[in-house]
Amino acid sequence: MRGISLIFRHEIAKIFKDKSLIFGFLVLPILTLALSVGLSAIRPNTVEENEYVLYFYGVNLDRIDIGEMDGKQIYVVASQEAPQTFLYSEKFHDCDVLIDLSDVAHAKIYYHENNSVSAYLKGTADTFVRELYGKLFRDTHPNITFRTMETRDISPKENTNRMIAMLLPYMLILPLTANITNFAGDTIAGDKTRGTFYQVLLTPVRPLALIMGKIFSVSLISLLSSAIYIGLDVVGSKICEKNGWEDVFGFAGVHVQVAEVAIILLYVVLLCYLFSNLGILISLFCKDVNQAQTAQMPVTLLCTMAAMMSMFRFGISPALHYLIPVYNICIVFQDILNDRADIGKMLLTAASFLVLSLVVLSITLASYKSEKVTG
Amino acid sequence: MITIEHLKKTFKKNKVEAVKDVSLEVRDGEIFALLGPNGAGKTTSMRMLSTLLKPTAGRITYDGKDIEEDTVAIRRRITFLTNEIRLDGQFTPDELANYYGRLYEMSPEQISKNKKDLFDYFGITEFADRRYETFSTGMKQKTSLAICLLHDPDTIIFDEPTNGLDILTQRLIEQLILRLKGEGKCIILSTHILDLVSRLADRVGVIVDGKSVYCGTVADMAPSLGVETLDEAFVKLYEENHEEQAIVKKK
Repeated sequence: MRGISLIFRHEIAKIFKDKSLIFGFLVLPILTLALSVGLSAIRPNTVEENEYVLYFYGVNLDRIDIGEMDGKQIYVVASQEAPQTFLYSEKFHDCDVLIDLSDVAHAKIYYHENNSVSAYLKGTADTFVRELYGKLFRDTHPNITFRTMETRDISPKENTNRMIAMLLPYMLILPLTANITNFAGDTIAGDKTRGTFYQVLLTPVRPLALIMGKIFSVSLISLLSSAIYIGLDVVGSKICEKNGWEDVFGFAGVHVQVAEVAIILLYVVLLCYLFSNLGILISLFCKDVNQAQTAQMPVTLLCTMAAMMSMFRFGISPALHYLIPVYNICIVFQDILNDRADIGKMLLTAASFLVLSLVVLSITLASYKSEKVTG
Repeated sequence: MITIEHLKKTFKKNKVEAVKDVSLEVRDGEIFALLGPNGAGKTTSMRMLSTLLKPTAGRITYDGKDIEEDTVAIRRRITFLTNEIRLDGQFTPDELANYYGRLYEMSPEQISKNKKDLFDYFGITEFADRRYETFSTGMKQKTSLAICLLHDPDTIIFDEPTNGLDILTQRLIEQLILRLKGEGKCIILSTHILDLVSRLADRVGVIVDGKSVYCGTVADMAPSLGVETLDEAFVKLYEENHEEQAIVKKK
């Protein structure tokens, strides 16, 4: 433990003694914030809805313009997805009403509780849907009955957090991987270039202490740097919200509890630890920082891709998906923010991460003794 | 006493047999010079002696303790100084001494005492709170020496210690080697400067093409080979044992 603590403190001090880091660590995020806020200010806050879109499921039809209501065009579109999927999909947020005609005797009408247009339609134009149906499909199914469905399963929280749930994995993983590539590359490959690595190897400090000290320091510094970015994004959202600008940061109106933030943070720490260990492992085999950063690129790309894939995932994922490293943490974040967290799946994710971390650590320790590292 | 028995090192990556068969004995309190032409395997042998590299075959023992079994304990009592070794430039000699002292599990009092002695000896006390990266090459070398000796090792391994240094720093290192000998420490010195060997070393080992071809006192080396000077003795050993030269001679 003493060795870990010594290496950890030394590495942290080394990073903070580097003046160029202050620029990357503080000045750059603040500049990014200023630029993003500026971008929000020149964009209009909301796009005025000038159309109603009604989706029908269970019938074949092309997009039809069926006329006007309250000065807005009304379009009818066929949904290819069943309501169970559709209700959780991104499309439902752009849809005003979904009419399920899969049962020829009983049509179901789904209104989007948090969509103002949908709410308006529900209040004033329920009969409009029925009339519309009459015009379009009476010949096919003359004796149909209508039932208005509640869409309570789409929680208000899911609606407010929808944007951030989509963006958060990407917002976290991008700076984390970028920072870790930078710091992990420098911590061992950089030490080799500078000739400072061998002096530590000659001391009685145990390989585990040296590796863990370096992993923890890279994790902490990357975590701090990412926290600064996320923190400034929250500030950016508040500025946009206050001024009535469009929120490009995605944090406006987000509804999360302290416990949820704590769980997200715990997973971020796990993610950070694993990335750092991978970074250190790659760095061990590289001669210099450039080589280490290049070698780290595939890992960065894979992790970013996993985060991007999770952005376009809606609904509930099967348990197997919670075993895919990085992707599993991204979907756990989304589950928490969308109020769909499942303890079993969260534990599965944590367990798969711990197993993977142990495997990577064992490989790192074995590699440490390799002559490619010490030779 | 350090014993090296049939040491062999083959690098897995390029299958290079850097050390083929080296057997030497280094006694307590002596200055032992390891001589050899470039590429003979001196540095690889030194790296194995300093625990940085694992031998492919053979055995190294420090007072009977096997280097592979007691690596951590042996690291506490040795130090290795080479031109490749540098210290973190962002730190001051004072901070570096505290850090390395703690890595060697020294008490704060021990660190303070040894730091003061060494910094005074090398004349770096007044620069102790200046960043290492701002120092001249000579000053950096002095700081590295001070840090390497901080834990009071009883065996000091120098790999070409005077390479690339000005005459004043070279002299300082020579004086240091003699001072350490005076303190009863064992010094292993790898070099190809024969003048340095004749001035400082008690005994010498010669490596040619990865094999030890001589181990004895400096004084006996030339007479035992029937020549007058150390230079001639070294050339003779090289000609007799260098593989290509030996083949030409045979033909």
